[in-house]
Amino acid sequence: MTTNGAAGHVEQFTLDNGLRLVTAPAATGQVAAVNLWYGVGSRHEVPGRTGFAHLFEHLMFQGSGTVRKGEHFDAVERLGGDINASTSTDRTNYFETVPEHALDLALWLEADRLATLREGMTQEVLDNQRDVVKNERRQRYDNVPYGTALERILRLGYPEGHPYHHPTIGSMADLDAADLDYVLSFHERHYGPDNLVLTVVSGLDPQDVRARVERYFGAIPARPTAAEAPDATLDGPIGGPVRDTVVENVPAPAVFLGYRVPAYGERDFDVLHLASAVLGQGQGSRLYRRLVVERGLAADDGGAAADLLPFRYTPSLMLVNMIAREGVSGDDLEAAMVEEISALAEGVTDEELERARAVLERDHLQSLSHPSGLADTIGSCTQLFGDPELAYTWPQRWAGITTDDVVAGAKRLLTPENLLIVRFDPEASGASDGAAAAS
Amino acid sequence: MLQTRPELGAPQPYHFPEPTRLRVGGGTVVAIDVPGQQYAAVRLVQPSGGITEPLDRMGVAALTSEALEDGVGGDSSLAPALERHGAEWVSRVTWDSFVTGVDAPVNRITDATKLFAEAVRTPALRPEDVERRRDQLLERFWLEASMASTLATRAIGGQLFKGRYATPLSGGPVRLRDVTPETVADFHAHAVAAVAGTLVVVGDLSGVDLEELGRTVFAGAATVPAPVPSAPESAPGDLPRIVVLDRPGSVQSALILAHRAPSRSEIDLPRADGMSDVLGGMFTSRLNMELRERLGYTYGVGCRFDLRRDSGVFLVSTQVEAPTTAHSITATLGEIEKLQADGVTEAELSAVRESNTVGLPVTYSTSRSLAGALVEMVVHDLPEDHVDRLRAGFERVTADDLAAAAREYLTPREAVVIVAGDAEQLVPSLTEVGHGPVVVRDPETLWT
Repeated sequence: MTTNGAAGHVEQFTLDNGLRLVTAPAATGQVAAVNLWYGVGSRHEVPGRTGFAHLFEHLMFQGSGTVRKGEHFDAVERLGGDINASTSTDRTNYFETVPEHALDLALWLEADRLATLREGMTQEVLDNQRDVVKNERRQRYDNVPYGTALERILRLGYPEGHPYHHPTIGSMADLDAADLDYVLSFHERHYGPDNLVLTVVSGLDPQDVRARVERYFGAIPARPTAAEAPDATLDGPIGGPVRDTVVENVPAPAVFLGYRVPAYGERDFDVLHLASAVLGQGQGSRLYRRLVVERGLAADDGGAAADLLPFRYTPSLMLVNMIAREGVSGDDLEAAMVEEISALAEGVTDEELERARAVLERDHLQSLSHPSGLADTIGSCTQLFGDPELAYTWPQRWAGITTDDVVAGAKRLLTPENLLIVRFDPEASGASDGAAAAS
Repeated sequence: MLQTRPELGAPQPYHFPEPTRLRVGGGTVVAIDVPGQQYAAVRLVQPSGGITEPLDRMGVAALTSEALEDGVGGDSSLAPALERHGAEWVSRVTWDSFVTGVDAPVNRITDATKLFAEAVRTPALRPEDVERRRDQLLERFWLEASMASTLATRAIGGQLFKGRYATPLSGGPVRLRDVTPETVADFHAHAVAAVAGTLVVVGDLSGVDLEELGRTVFAGAATVPAPVPSAPESAPGDLPRIVVLDRPGSVQSALILAHRAPSRSEIDLPRADGMSDVLGGMFTSRLNMELRERLGYTYGVGCRFDLRRDSGVFLVSTQVEAPTTAHSITATLGEIEKLQADGVTEAELSAVRESNTVGLPVTYSTSRSLAGALVEMVVHDLPEDHVDRLRAGFERVTADDLAAAAREYLTPREAVVIVAGDAEQLVPSLTEVGHGPVVVRDPETLWT
């Protein structure tokens, strides 16, 4: 295994207010990557309030008690820095990479919005960002073919009322219902230094970084009480096969298959991660070789048909997705995909497993090869597993997994009882409105 | 106690790393050593981009680039071979270049480069593989163009240019059909196999023999100069105009405003990019602050120059909620007009200066980004200190320069506005925008 040579150079500190700080060295000079993982995501949302964690991420850029609307972006952009944020089921992530001399400014901006965001929040800001998020939803979900696939997959994979039943973007109705009081209380409940992992990747001395973080974040009090996430316990298979068939204006039939697999961090998650790479990652993968190259049933996706949707606090999903070639029916493609997936339980060669391991290691190493990616991976490992060194050693988890493990995992988990199917089929020519049917 | 906003000290002076340059056989190796960077980027730059294609072979460069992935054994054998080394194939055809390469851990760079070199110089190019790739590309064209933003972007060339640029780089959904395995083999033999090109290598090169890498990649290939550019003709039609690519039922419209611009060598980059940054190159740019942050019409809007060796394009692009389409166009034109009339503020000037100078360590913090800068230098024949010169240009730029650039480089009355959206819903309001005639096109007829 190759590492970036920095393992063992990670340092971790915990401030009195509970903030966990991790420092690591950057491979190139004069740069500081600042990455914040708050332990709040869409899993904390309740029915009727979906989309809040993500809407909130937008509001964090809209000004605070001290910083006016737009100023955070302006300050980092004029440093030529990279800046953005993202929200998932399990966390909300804010990050900026700046020239090293601007580290203090980045830390101050982050500390400021953690401490004083509520003072800058107004109804006008909320209304504007609600519109922006609704347009994000249109752009990513509603106005693109197959855009609602993830929403449909989660609906089938997790029961009504379960915190992973809905997508992070939320529903239009819930976004419309967002009110200022709830927004303010959301910040109060979830945003505290005790719910934050702050990672700084730079060429600076760790003690220097610690002193700076202490200076800007040290006076921010911890939350009086830690917010509890809704119960996400879930046992057993999906209870499938369950299916959602969609007939609408799409360019070709598409098949999305999902299997419930163990939570991110479990050993069987790693086993199935390798299984997904054998099956559908890279042009040496089975689905690419068989269905794209040999049988010509699926559109060429470059070898990206299978992966895991990693959830830390509930079972994850293995997703397999392909789009049919011209003249190939959705039924034929679906049957061929299921056949290839079933065949995993009949055996995997050493060569296939080695290739799969190499592909996963490559992707992991690439994510560590830039300061922002390294900071993000460390933040993830610390927030989700309490161990920043895992960022460097993660590939070792795949090292001990054998072909027998993969076959056993496939036999146990890639079964019809554990299968969900979302199918998109084009409207027949001359058909009028699209129709959707769920069962 | 909470701290007050810190005052920034002066940034450390930044200089783009000086590349090592080696002549090996008919080619040149250009390399940057980044100690500690264990993931290397290797790129072979050749001048045979899409613009060099004859009109009866449009798409041959893109198809050849794809077909190289079938490797020396054919049957898509290259990627799996690289995957075993933890390496990844990279290929990119632009109008002006044919770029191939690998990203690989530095301790595997020799093996990965050998596989890459074989695939580029002596691929099998079996007819059945080439036909499979071509048919896949043709189908993918419409799969991708089912995204409104992709459809609108691909329509730009045909609205602004005659000749090669009028058809998408890939050969589009029609012309690519005429490209045969024999055409690909011929193109490959003359434009790829026989041309040495320039090899770019970036990463921790402490244990890497650059000369050996060069010998592996160049073998006996010859030096071939880049073609001399000549300006393309413009497409016929009224200017300005609005072209609606009908996409019934769209809840959003993909919107592009595009007009011709000078070529890469003719344009004054700090002035042009600086002005473009103020208008739509940053989150805090005028268009984003207006269309997203004030009006809430969109998730985001941006603008940029697409600069080639023989010409250029300036484009604004966004996706807006369908009922706001006409007003989004009016507001965009209004921002352009305001910039041309009133110039930029001191705050905007300083943002442009700072973001393009002090941010360079961030921009060049990866092997890929450093390699990208070297590739650009090769393609556009720029000096090795190009990045430092550019930085100096941004340090010198004034508010008057940016205002003058807005007047010189932005020509909205010569722009085509492309709207991928629901024509029936949009046409009445678009007619009232006053940006010339409104033409409705069926997307399927654009490239016939």
